[in-house]
Order: sequence, then structure tokens, then C-alpha cells
Amino acid sequence: MKNFWKLTNFELNRFSKIYFILIGLTLAMQTIGIVLLSSSYMSDVEEQLALGSTLEWIKISVGTFSFSSVTSSYWFGGPIVISIVSLLIYVFFIWYRDWFGKNTFIYRLLMLPTARINVFFAKATTIFLMVFGLISLQLVFILMENELLKLMVSETFREDQSLNQIIFSFDYMGVLYPTSIIQFFINYGIGFMAVFVVFTGVLFERCFRLKGILFGILFAGVALFVFISPVLLQVTILEEFFYPNEIFILMVITGLMVTTGSIWMSHYLLNKKIRV
Amino acid sequence: MIEVKDITKKFGRKKVLDGVSFTANKGEITCLIGINGVGKTTILNAIMNLTPTNSGEILIDGEKIHRETYEKITFIPDAITMLPQMRITDAMQFMKDFYHSWNQNRADELISFFKLDPNDRISSLSKGNTAKVNMLLGLALDVDYLLMDEPFSGIDIFSREQIADVFTSHLVEGRGVIITTHEISDIEHLIDKAVLLNDGVVLREFNAEEVRENEGKSIIDVMREVYQA
Repeated sequence: MKNFWKLTNFELNRFSKIYFILIGLTLAMQTIGIVLLSSSYMSDVEEQLALGSTLEWIKISVGTFSFSSVTSSYWFGGPIVISIVSLLIYVFFIWYRDWFGKNTFIYRLLMLPTARINVFFAKATTIFLMVFGLISLQLVFILMENELLKLMVSETFREDQSLNQIIFSFDYMGVLYPTSIIQFFINYGIGFMAVFVVFTGVLFERCFRLKGILFGILFAGVALFVFISPVLLQVTILEEFFYPNEIFILMVITGLMVTTGSIWMSHYLLNKKIRV
Repeated sequence: MIEVKDITKKFGRKKVLDGVSFTANKGEITCLIGINGVGKTTILNAIMNLTPTNSGEILIDGEKIHRETYEKITFIPDAITMLPQMRITDAMQFMKDFYHSWNQNRADELISFFKLDPNDRISSLSKGNTAKVNMLLGLALDVDYLLMDEPFSGIDIFSREQIADVFTSHLVEGRGVIITTHEISDIEHLIDKAVLLNDGVVLREFNAEEVRENEGKSIIDVMREVYQA
């Protein structure tokens, strides 16, 4: 267990530079977005004021300014998409970086006097912590950026929003910030299960190279089939036999089966089939 | 003792190891000799469970390799196994964090023996110094067996001399060493046992001293006989 935490800490440090760049980029782009969009809005307002328009008329013609005006722009969504894509790439890169290049670190990782599955879990935990870290920081950033917005736009033309309203004003935020604990476990459970399956796919490729790509894709296909099998049964053979909550329970079970199967297969590959 | 018993290994249809068997004893230097591509590195990888074999068995002190075995056997590959951005001191700390068998005093001794600066980044080291750091990371472990893959390959004459000196020092004494090379001249006088390989097959396994005494032949003489026959 101690070695697992050491490895996790080590993996976190390895990604820290890119991670801090992502955090910096998110904060910078979103802040610039708020400054630019609110300045542009205020100049429109000032233009109308100079023309002698009434406040009520300005609110109707120019509209009010809220955080939603920012969340719908690329300045806000862009860095989130960049962070998500970076983490998706890193799910693969976290393995391949150990094999390629002049320094073949995979030798060292596989020769550590610890269970090899700890390497697998450390890498997975790193991805999970990075995801949760970015998501939590985004919440903090929204609160900070909201305060900045209040400084930039006068109260008269501003429509203040709660954190909840801000989150739901952005299309994909509902996925990242589920409203119920069950939805949270569904969203992140599926996400983390997918990470485990991709890891196993990568290990198939690392064990069997070209043939391994095929094995990996097959494994992912079987995993997907097993996971959605309750739904498939429901819409085909059993014809609405299950209640929705039964489908949910069955999918939790198939999800756990896929995750367990993925871990077991990775354990086997790391111990019996892996090649440096 | 390391026992390699009848191992075979295929890459696709190509058989790179075909029934390889030999033993390496503690306290002896065993040298796997053969030209590039005969399967020397694959054998070392197989001993360390870094590549699977198709058949056969490898035992270390009578046991199959498991996680604790890495506290008593280590492998020094021909490329450094630490991250380029690490300083030598970070690499040593990493080893200290994970291995109970890490001997910091010996590591410090090796730092001065090889005249290395612990604050140097691995990426900034010359090829010779990189090989020395790689050697340091293996030798500073209190292990019974050391596997070294081509430690003299592609490095300057002075670094080669320094690394060769390691073999006559207390740093290796009492341990079982398996070393691979295709250039035997640097270490011929140090070898206790030679295993001659060709096309994944052991052509001959012999004790260097016995052959010297009984047949009056050096390892190179035997190599000529075997490879040029």
C-alpha cells in the first residue's frame, strides 16, 4: 500500500507541469473572456447612454449581463475542452511515455519490489485525482470570476446568478457537476470504468503489439457489450421487462463486472505477458 | 544460483531462443557471448520477467521470480532506466524510496568512484556518465545477483576502464553476475564462466579457468573454435 501511494505521488509529479499549465490556461482564458466580454458589453451600454437612452430601454435593447454570457463563449468553454482533451490523451500517454524515448522507465517500474498492479492503480488514481482536481478548481474559478464580473459590470445591468445557475447555464457542466449523488456515481463511475478499460487495451497493445491493438479493441467491445447488456436485453428479447430502477441496478452490476474484469486482465497481462 | 532451463522465445514466427539452458552461480561472473541479435538481451529480460517466454523455466535460488525477488536481483540494461529530467540525486532518492536493499553508503562511494556530480541532470550527462549512473543504480543495491546488458557498449575508453575496474572491486565481490557482451576483450580476464550463443542456441557453456588450465585455451580461442567451426 505504501508503494502504491509513493507511485501515485511520483506519477502526479510527472504530470504536474502540464497540469499547472492547464490550470493557468483555464484561469487566464476565462479571466480574459470576462474582461473582454464585460468591457464590450459596457461600451455598448455607454454608447446607448451617450445617445440618451433610458436604463430600461438599454436593458431591453442591449440586454443584461450575467455569467451565462461568459459561459456560452469560447473563452470559457475553450479551456475546459482543452483540459478534457489533454486528460483524454494523457490516459494513453501515461503508459506510452514509459516505453518510448531514450530513457526506458518501464524497466524500472516493472522491476520495483512491489505488485505490478500497483503501477496500474497509481496511474489510474493519478488520472482520477487530476480530473477531480480540475473540476474542483473550476468551481473555485467560477466563484472568483463571478466576483471579477461584479467589478466589471455595474449592478444596474447585471443579472447575478448563483453557482448552480451558472453551472446549468453551460451545456456540458451538468455532466461534470451532477446534481445528485447517484448521478455523480453514474457519471464518474462510467468515466473511471472507461479509463480502466482503456488501460487494459493499452496493456494488450504493449504485450502483443500489432495483434494487441486488435485484442484491445475486442476487449473494449466486449466490455461495452457487457455493460449495456441489460439495456440491450430490455429493448430486444425481454421487451420492457425491467423497471428503470432494476435496469439501473443491473447496469451497476455489469459496470462492476467490467471494472473487475479489466483490473484482473491487466493484472494478468502485467505479470505474465508484458514486454519492455 | 540462477537456473535457466530450456527456455524458448518466439517473436512472431521467428524463434529467438531455442531451448536455452545454463546456470549462473553466486560469486561468479558469467558472460553471455554472441554477436548482436543472438538473444542475449532477451535472456536477461526473461530472467527479470520483462518479457514472457514460450516454454521453459527460470529459477532464482530455486524459486520463480516474484515481487520480493527484485530485492535480491537487479538488471542494468544498456539504456538508463530513470527519467531524463531527474537529477542523479533524485534517481538515488527514488531507489531509496522503493528498495529496502538500497545502500546509500555504497551509492555515495560509487558517486566518488565514478567522479559524478549528484546534482547533474540525467539528460545532460555524456554517454559514458549515463552508463556510470546506470551502473551506480544497480550496484548500490545490496542484491545477490546483478545482470548487466552490454555495459561497455558505445562508451569512451576511460569510462570503459572505470566500469571494468568495478568488476575487480568489492562492489561486485561475492555476487553472482551475468553480463552480456559482443566485445569480450575488456573483461576476458574477469570472466569465470562463458556461455557462447548463436541464433538463440547455447553452443557451449564452460568454466574459463578450467579451459585455461586443462586445454591451455583462452575464451577467445574457444570462441574461434566454436564460431569458426
